Amino acid sequence: MENYVFSSRAKGVTGGMMILGLICLIWTYLTGSHEDHHMRFWTNFLHNATFFLGIAFMAGFVLAAFTTAYAGWFVQFKRVWEAYSLWLLPSLFLMGVLIVGLWLHSHHLYHWNDASAVEGDEILTHKSSFLNKYWYTFGTIIFVGAWYFFISKMRSLSVDEDHNGTEAYAQHRSYKKYAAIFLPIAGFTSAALIWQWIMSLDSHWYSTMFAWYATASWFCAMMALTIMMLIYLKSRGYFQSVTAEHFHDLGKYLFAISIFWTYLWFSQYMLIWYGNVGEETIYFRERLDNYQALFYINLVINFLLPFLILMRNDTKRKYGTLFFACVIVLFGHWLDFFMMIKPAALRTVIELEEGHGHGDDHGEQHGANESSDIYHLTSLEVDQHDHDQAGHDNHDGADGDLDHAGDDADAMHNHDGDNHHDGESGDHAGMAGDHGHGDHDGGAHDIEHSADAGGHHAFPERYIESRAGYMLPGFLEIGTFLGFLGGFLFFSLSTLSKAPLEPRNDPYMDESKHHHT
Amino acid sequence: MAHSIADEYNLKTGEPVADGHHHDVLFALYDDEEKLMAAVKEANSRHLHIMEVYTPFPVHGLDPLLGFEESRLHQAGFVYGALGTLTAFGFMTWVFTRDWPIIFGGKPYWSVPAFIPITFELTVLFAAVGMVVTFYIICGLGPGAEPIRLHDRITDDKFCIAFDLNHGGDDEDSIRDFFSATGAESVHRKLV
Repeated sequence: MENYVFSSRAKGVTGGMMILGLICLIWTYLTGSHEDHHMRFWTNFLHNATFFLGIAFMAGFVLAAFTTAYAGWFVQFKRVWEAYSLWLLPSLFLMGVLIVGLWLHSHHLYHWNDASAVEGDEILTHKSSFLNKYWYTFGTIIFVGAWYFFISKMRSLSVDEDHNGTEAYAQHRSYKKYAAIFLPIAGFTSAALIWQWIMSLDSHWYSTMFAWYATASWFCAMMALTIMMLIYLKSRGYFQSVTAEHFHDLGKYLFAISIFWTYLWFSQYMLIWYGNVGEETIYFRERLDNYQALFYINLVINFLLPFLILMRNDTKRKYGTLFFACVIVLFGHWLDFFMMIKPAALRTVIELEEGHGHGDDHGEQHGANESSDIYHLTSLEVDQHDHDQAGHDNHDGADGDLDHAGDDADAMHNHDGDNHHDGESGDHAGMAGDHGHGDHDGGAHDIEHSADAGGHHAFPERYIESRAGYMLPGFLEIGTFLGFLGGFLFFSLSTLSKAPLEPRNDPYMDESKHHHT
Repeated sequence: MAHSIADEYNLKTGEPVADGHHHDVLFALYDDEEKLMAAVKEANSRHLHIMEVYTPFPVHGLDPLLGFEESRLHQAGFVYGALGTLTAFGFMTWVFTRDWPIIFGGKPYWSVPAFIPITFELTVLFAAVGMVVTFYIICGLGPGAEPIRLHDRITDDKFCIAFDLNHGGDDEDSIRDFFSATGAESVHRKLV
């Protein structure tokens, strides 16, 4: 089989997307305010950089997993996944931009990177052995670098097999070893990096399911992009022996992983909902109150639509419906990442704006406030019952030392009790009063602060006003997404054109050609 | 093969056909699925009427060659699953909002997230059990059913093409001719 020829038309389209993305990024930066450290720009950058990095990572991961499992059906188009996975190198540079920003404090994405915030915050102090810029920097460079090492090694073995492959299949044996070693390393390190990159945006919050959930999102997006790429290449006359049988299996993966994603999404939600622990519910409280439309749209387009569309046998074998489902899923999981990143960022923006003039430490109250009762995910009807009990319990615990917390667990409890007390009175002043109690500076400051905050956005107010680029993706977000997508496709297509599109001498090639579901 | 065949060939139950006659079956064994596939294609091109093909494992691509339509079993499965969803969700809704409302963990009576795992399980259960029962009924399987075995090695490593001499409409010579032309390992005749 011949090489793929990167047509000038394809170059033009992907190049145009890249330029559009660049314009959008610059535009976002220029229109951003210095006050919030250009938060919209940085979140868009982080969002797309990690999204496409994950797609590249998952492409490498499935290559390794399938090879280790002695699978052969995908071998015909393995070059597509190889090309995708090599995007890890550009991704590493993109993450480098974020790392430089972290060191220079050009962005305020991560609460834990603010020394004064960590100092006065028991939870962040406790987490600082993991959430710090050294871990972020070296974790990213070393782990992503290690992934790239394995993936580029596998790629070069695969290309070498084309030219020097024999019946002894030396390259394939070696390939399999690299794949098998890559798998456990990838499994553990990816979780650590997801916590660092994305979960720590909500720096007080944590979920043990988050890494799986984000990885499943990447997996779906990667499968969708793979199917779309293969349909495109087939329409250009390549991959004639990739048939409906292969698409059927790819479609099954898209279907299955979409359901797996939903399973993780729901499990994370339900455990937190059931546990009803304030420091955990904050994540969903924020999204349920202020992102209602997106919250449910996310479920509809990432679960309901792919589930119903791909359930039938024939929709996975028809390129039209399959392509349509893939567009939905790819965009849907991009939106899912939007939902992971933006609400936390917007909260930081609001705090930064409120804290303006008071110094940097003003964004830091939400440590204690996160445990406030108003963040519990319970309906109003039964709410009251719950509050009475919780408030009572906590009040006992809080007796005596309201302002001087010993360890962090105690600190949470104390403020919890405090908030419950105020919250029950239910009026706005009470809520605003909470605002100040979170920080450990003492009474005088509290009063000053609550007076100041009583006006418009006092922190514990659930509803925040709509903002372009945070509540819904604006044109700039879509443009940036298209830009990164263009870059990813440009890179993948040019990588595809550098080696024969269909591998030669792969021991599983025949199996792939006669694949039958 | 799992598919039902027309009533006149109702061999799987071991029952004699309606008119009281037994089937006079002429069949051949092949030792390889590739040979079997080629033979079935050859039979189609000779316009022979295959009664049934027996294989030790599912052979991909055989169904369309034998002219089987796609099974509608999965459509029944969807209906059973939907029934399970409605049963579980409806029952829990009725119990916890009408019949016996209880507060669990300070949650509202109608706690949808808590219902979902059970709804999911019952959906799977209804779909699975419903499809198995339907499948057994369609195929005439079930407790007490006597499967017919043309040859013991069909369940081991041999692939069998069978013709019905009484009802198939092909004469014996052309069938034997076809068997030898397609590399059959052995040819047998059996009254079942």
